[in-house]
Amino acid sequence: MGLFLQQLIGGVASGSMFAILALGIVLIYRSTGTLNFAQGQMAMFSTFIAWSAMSTGMGFWPAVLLTLLSALAMGALVEWLIVRRVEGTSDLNSLIVAMGLFLIFDGLALYVWGPLPKSFGPFSFFSGGASCVGGVCIGRLNLGILVVSIVTTALLYLLFQCTRFGLALRATALNRPASRLVGIPVGRMLSTGWGLGTAVGAIAGILAAQSLGLEIRTMFFVVLFALAAAVLGGLDSPVGAVVGGLIIGVVKNLAGTYTPSSVGSIDLAVAFAVIVLVLMVRPNGIFGRPVRMRV
Amino acid sequence: MQALPPGLKPIGLLLLSVFLVVFPFLHEWPFFRIFLGEFRTFNATMFAIWLLVLLGMNLLTGYSGQISFGHAALVLASAYLTAVLSQQYAFPLWGAIGLSGAATAVVGWVTIGIPAVRLRGPYLAIATFGLMLAFPQILKMNVLTRWTQGALGIRGGVVEPPGFLEGVLDGREWMYYVAMAAAVAMTVLFLNLTRSRTGRAFVALRDSEVGAEQMGVDVPRYKALAFGVSSLYAGIGGGLFFAVQGFVSPDSLGLIDSIFFLVAIVIGGLGSVLGSIIAALFLTFQSEAISALAGFVPGANNLRNVFYGASLIAVIVLFPKGIAGFFQRPLWPKLR
Repeated sequence: MGLFLQQLIGGVASGSMFAILALGIVLIYRSTGTLNFAQGQMAMFSTFIAWSAMSTGMGFWPAVLLTLLSALAMGALVEWLIVRRVEGTSDLNSLIVAMGLFLIFDGLALYVWGPLPKSFGPFSFFSGGASCVGGVCIGRLNLGILVVSIVTTALLYLLFQCTRFGLALRATALNRPASRLVGIPVGRMLSTGWGLGTAVGAIAGILAAQSLGLEIRTMFFVVLFALAAAVLGGLDSPVGAVVGGLIIGVVKNLAGTYTPSSVGSIDLAVAFAVIVLVLMVRPNGIFGRPVRMRV
Repeated sequence: MQALPPGLKPIGLLLLSVFLVVFPFLHEWPFFRIFLGEFRTFNATMFAIWLLVLLGMNLLTGYSGQISFGHAALVLASAYLTAVLSQQYAFPLWGAIGLSGAATAVVGWVTIGIPAVRLRGPYLAIATFGLMLAFPQILKMNVLTRWTQGALGIRGGVVEPPGFLEGVLDGREWMYYVAMAAAVAMTVLFLNLTRSRTGRAFVALRDSEVGAEQMGVDVPRYKALAFGVSSLYAGIGGGLFFAVQGFVSPDSLGLIDSIFFLVAIVIGGLGSVLGSIIAALFLTFQSEAISALAGFVPGANNLRNVFYGASLIAVIVLFPKGIAGFFQRPLWPKLR
């Protein structure tokens, strides 16, 4: 039982990291209907920016702030310059553009920072002794990841539910022509959606680098878990992304713990199985809206 | 081919066949010796394999409008099946390739095609993306090591030409003829298929699923079929891949290869056989071209993906028909 609880908590912590990466994917999907396969590589790129800032002697938190601002600008710029060109043409085109972004960020990071892994953390906020309650412990790294994820999610919730700006963002996602009619600058909202999604991704990237280290391929597999989380929750539901992320984290951890070693590691296969199962049984996820098609 | 005036077509085809037949020996001829090395035969063999794979991918994406980021997983699966059948169960190599191709077609049809019937673009993309990332790990699973040899991969023998050709051809030249013959035969099959009722159904599916349904196209059936046929091409390509490379491991092909397949057919030209041929040329020579470029532009090797990503986006935005679009009239001018 102790082992189970222990793994459960570990799963919640890593799940919260998947959750905010998935949250970024959902924010972008709601904004322009693009499924951003480049989310992981963009997050990796942002994390490298934080690394560069820190290697010039900047402190951790200022570097994080700088990274978030540049990620915000980067995401908005990508939407404004590139994604807008294929808006409303076809799913196929926007998926191909997402793959193009994947390659561009992958290649840029390789060109600027090279293929060698960089040491990036764990920083003071994420290192230290474990905290224990009644025999069940949570490591400082996991605790830090959990706290940052909760704060991120809470801030986003406040932004979307309690501000006029958030209302405008939600309105744009829901009904574009009507939003335009009531005077919302729709184009700017779409760019903002991409910017926010990319910034949230950057947080996930920094968290992932604390435990996995920083290199070009750091987010390669993390993004699969985030995609599984987003599909499970429903691609257009932020609440779904968080719930999905937590479920995926817990399932991944428990599967890793209780799979006999004769089978081998199966975490990626489990994520894939979850995706397939959910899509078969409930194609719009737990919280997603069904999509109607017109000719 | 279509750009040629009608009278020239037979002559063009004849010249092409002669060229393909004598190609392995061209590098021994006086004039061609200057720019052809013996290694070009291997290049041409890989070109034939990529052509098979990319024709399949183009059928799926360019003709039927379905996306798959998992195409390299199908090729890898078939390469593994060929390896296991020929190395561990003593199947003759050609039988193993044929069987693997057929098995991959069935797998693609039943396990990807039929589920895909329910999935719209982005969801299908996620599922195939997941398959691609998870597949190497599945191959490395301890329960499968008995067959797959885990991360080590499977090594095959050198392919020798059959007895009556001994002394005439070496193994490399023989593989060239086999792969090229398969590629040519399946290209002809492809041309016929895309001009048939089935091919038109695929295109209708791409242009509008609901519209196709209105016109009486059995959408689920043709969607699943598109995956099946495309997997057949990937499967034959995968089997030949193992035979030619003589080796396959879980990391032989990965996500980045699937993405490169996509880059290749988009740049070559979606929905066009000529586009697939250009795409296969691109895939065969891209790493060599980039390395050559790196001699002049420092860092070009590392910038490769930036260049491909930018081309991918530029082609989609500016010339949706790719390079092939400059050479030919639209393949489907108007569906009457």
